[in-house]
Amino acid sequence: MGIVQENRVEVKSMLTAVSSKPSRSGRVHPFTTLDNAMSRHTLHVIVYYPRSPFGSFDLDSVRISLSELLSMYPPVVGRVAKTPDGILEVKCNDAGLRTLKAKVCVGIDEWLRSADGHDESDLTAWEDMPEDPSTWAPFRLQINEFEGGGVAIGLSCPHRQADATTLTVLLKSWTEAQRRRCLVHPPSFSPLPSILTDDTDAVKPNSASISEPISTKTATATFRFSSSAFKKYVEEEGIFPKASPLDVFAALFWTRVALVKRKSHDRVCMCVDFRRLLPNPLPYGFFGNALNFSSLEMTNVADQGIVHVARLINDHVTNLTVEKIRSDLNRVGEQELMYGRDLTIVNMEHMIVEGDPMMYDAVFEDGVRPVHVSYRIGNVGGEGVIMVMPSPEKGFGRVVSVTLPEEEMSKLLVDQEILRFEPKIILSGVK
Amino acid sequence: MPQAPMPELTSSVKLKYVKLGYQYLVNHFLSFLLIPIMAIGAVELLRMGPEEILNVWNSLEFDLVQVLCTSFFVIFISTVYFMSKPRTIYLVDYSCYKPPVTCRVPFATFMEHSRLILKDKPKSVEFQMRILERSGLGEETSLPPAIHYIPPTPTMDAARSEAQLVIFTAMDDLFKKTGLKPKDVDILIVNCSLFSPTPSLSAMVINKYKLRSNIKSVNLSGMGCSAGLISVDLARDLLQVHPNSNAIIVSTEIITPNYYQGNERAMLLPNCLFRMGAAAILMSNRRSDRWRAKYKLSHLVRTHRGADDKSFYCVYEQEDKEGHVGINLSKDLMAIAGEALKANITTIGPLVLPASEQLLFLLSLIGRKIFNPKLKPYIPDFKLAFEHFCIHAGGRAVIDELQKNLQLSGEHVEASRMTLHRFGNTSSSSLWYELSYIESKGRMRRGDRVWQIAFGSGFKCNSAVWKCNRTIKTPKDGPWSDCIDRYPVFIPEVVKL
Repeated sequence: MGIVQENRVEVKSMLTAVSSKPSRSGRVHPFTTLDNAMSRHTLHVIVYYPRSPFGSFDLDSVRISLSELLSMYPPVVGRVAKTPDGILEVKCNDAGLRTLKAKVCVGIDEWLRSADGHDESDLTAWEDMPEDPSTWAPFRLQINEFEGGGVAIGLSCPHRQADATTLTVLLKSWTEAQRRRCLVHPPSFSPLPSILTDDTDAVKPNSASISEPISTKTATATFRFSSSAFKKYVEEEGIFPKASPLDVFAALFWTRVALVKRKSHDRVCMCVDFRRLLPNPLPYGFFGNALNFSSLEMTNVADQGIVHVARLINDHVTNLTVEKIRSDLNRVGEQELMYGRDLTIVNMEHMIVEGDPMMYDAVFEDGVRPVHVSYRIGNVGGEGVIMVMPSPEKGFGRVVSVTLPEEEMSKLLVDQEILRFEPKIILSGVK
Repeated sequence: MPQAPMPELTSSVKLKYVKLGYQYLVNHFLSFLLIPIMAIGAVELLRMGPEEILNVWNSLEFDLVQVLCTSFFVIFISTVYFMSKPRTIYLVDYSCYKPPVTCRVPFATFMEHSRLILKDKPKSVEFQMRILERSGLGEETSLPPAIHYIPPTPTMDAARSEAQLVIFTAMDDLFKKTGLKPKDVDILIVNCSLFSPTPSLSAMVINKYKLRSNIKSVNLSGMGCSAGLISVDLARDLLQVHPNSNAIIVSTEIITPNYYQGNERAMLLPNCLFRMGAAAILMSNRRSDRWRAKYKLSHLVRTHRGADDKSFYCVYEQEDKEGHVGINLSKDLMAIAGEALKANITTIGPLVLPASEQLLFLLSLIGRKIFNPKLKPYIPDFKLAFEHFCIHAGGRAVIDELQKNLQLSGEHVEASRMTLHRFGNTSSSSLWYELSYIESKGRMRRGDRVWQIAFGSGFKCNSAVWKCNRTIKTPKDGPWSDCIDRYPVFIPEVVKL
């Protein structure tokens, strides 16, 4: 937030983790139109554990379970290549997952308290795709060890190749492999069902990257709301009975951000995972992008009560039919900014399976649950992103991560409506 | 039309029967002589009847002194014979190291690392790719952890930890398989050519397993890929001198400190072929082990061609222009290997070949020397002397060359080719992986003879002949246990990378 900090993360080494069994030779993983639409963004997941499952690193059993898991995910260890027609695809050649090891000079609690979005990006490894991607690793893993114990596992990939659910399931499956359990969500590499792709044109050749750099400097902050905060609001404001925590928190942030932006900011983009919304639901292990981006409008949203906005959001999400999903899918083009062209609200309710948040069940050792999971999207547009994620405590609490231009963020951090809910603010860079 | 091939077929069948008949005649010559004589003697005895036999016996007029002297003489001769017979050396069991899956090196990973590290030398990268395509290696060979880093981190610590990993894992497995207690080990021989720290690797083993203080330990270094058989020879000599003892041999090659970091092409070759591996072998001269031992050592022949300059310099460790140390392989390696093999065969042939082959060889030799020098030399058929062949998996070219020279079929060299595919060139331990392959395929029967041939820098050709002591059941664990069903695989001439 304007304060220049020296880099607290130091990368010590880099190697390539391989799969344990050779994959079928000549196997190729193509991209769907939706995948190609996401090509401007990158995706990063960071899971924080209070105790590291890694020891000597070279001979750890965790490395062996990673290799066994990678055998089930050939596209993760493959390399991007261009067909003679200019279309990008993944050649499953077993080249491997680039793995980096880093040391952080502060403790994990100190980090969660004082790091900001830019610091968090140091916990993940990323390099833009070069002209010749044959030796470029699309998936990168970074293991960051904190001073005094604790580890942050950062997994990055181009958003073209996976969405947040895919990466979460991958990390969770790694922990299941480590504990010698059956995978709850084994990977599935089938293409998008035909019900969605009937009208779409054939995949067009990928044009060369003409990405304009995003000029606004953005800042990120994460707000942790407890279950009681939701209940308090419901009691005080009398929300309609079917309101979910997503409706309430999304509505809260939309109205407050609109106020901060001082526009009658009436359009947002809702990002919803449609795996379970189809008549024949896709499994959670579906590998690739299964996201629906749809627009939502309301005039003078800043003056509307949260109840109204929450109801609008609720209606919108409940009425997402397969026809709507298909028509939204048809409208996506390439080289567009999917996140941040309008203020984007990302819905992660689907990650709560039977009351348990999936990402917090990724446990290597019994009793050592993640203390926090961050999702970061690279190259987000100037309007910003609001991500409503499950909370480590089961129930109605939520963790909301907000990415906005710097000046707007500094105003949001002192917004009274939000602070009324007594959120715990972490990873905002404020000392 | 069908008439034409028939005469050829019948003539080749006739030839085969002639050959078979000749072999039976010569190899069992003594039996052919003795049986008629014994038959005639038996007929005579039966004809004579019991009274006549008794008369003949009485007429010999034996008295007590004569009988006693004769019997003492016979006992004396047989004692001298049994005492001076060399002890039978048994191979009780052996264990091969299987690397963890995290050490696997797929082709794509190897080439990617090569491109990232040799960024400014595309020609060297191209060269490595061509070598890898034609190498005969598969996608499951392994390199030690330090080599997986970008750039590799070949520190001395990393080399020591690789040594500890491979040697201790193999030895733990051997102790478990044989039930041997570490304090009962009498002789320890460790051979590792290119890594020789202080204290030695044998001292490292003694320290880890708390072996006895009066153990006879030897550490062989610098002797190349044939050091495994040199260790067996040394163990055999020591076991002749020390009665009632056992010996553990550890054969390995530590890759970490020897990964060539320069870009001289002839020196990049070993990087493409050498892989992580180790074997631990238990040998014994105890009579109590003769029931459980897997093999008996029949012969061991060592041939050294170092006196010839070309042979001496053909595998040479040196610094390149930039000061990186690597091993330079000369272009005449195959020719020199062929000559070394010829020298070795000349010595081992008379020891193992059946009489029929030796006679033919002698006749052809006489023919060439006396009658017509242009006569093609007769190459004895070693397939008659051995059931199984283990050719050091030094590279595809070595196996091809030997297959051609010894006229072996695809099945004879299958163990070598498949070991090269699955484990790469593991240097001195590759012979043991090959033997394990044959056992895992269930082909090893009691009485089968195995010929292990190893080549090494210097230039050396060493061979060992083992006789299988008991039919070996397919092992449940071992380096091939999880993949033997996939083998043999077809290895294309060139793998497109």
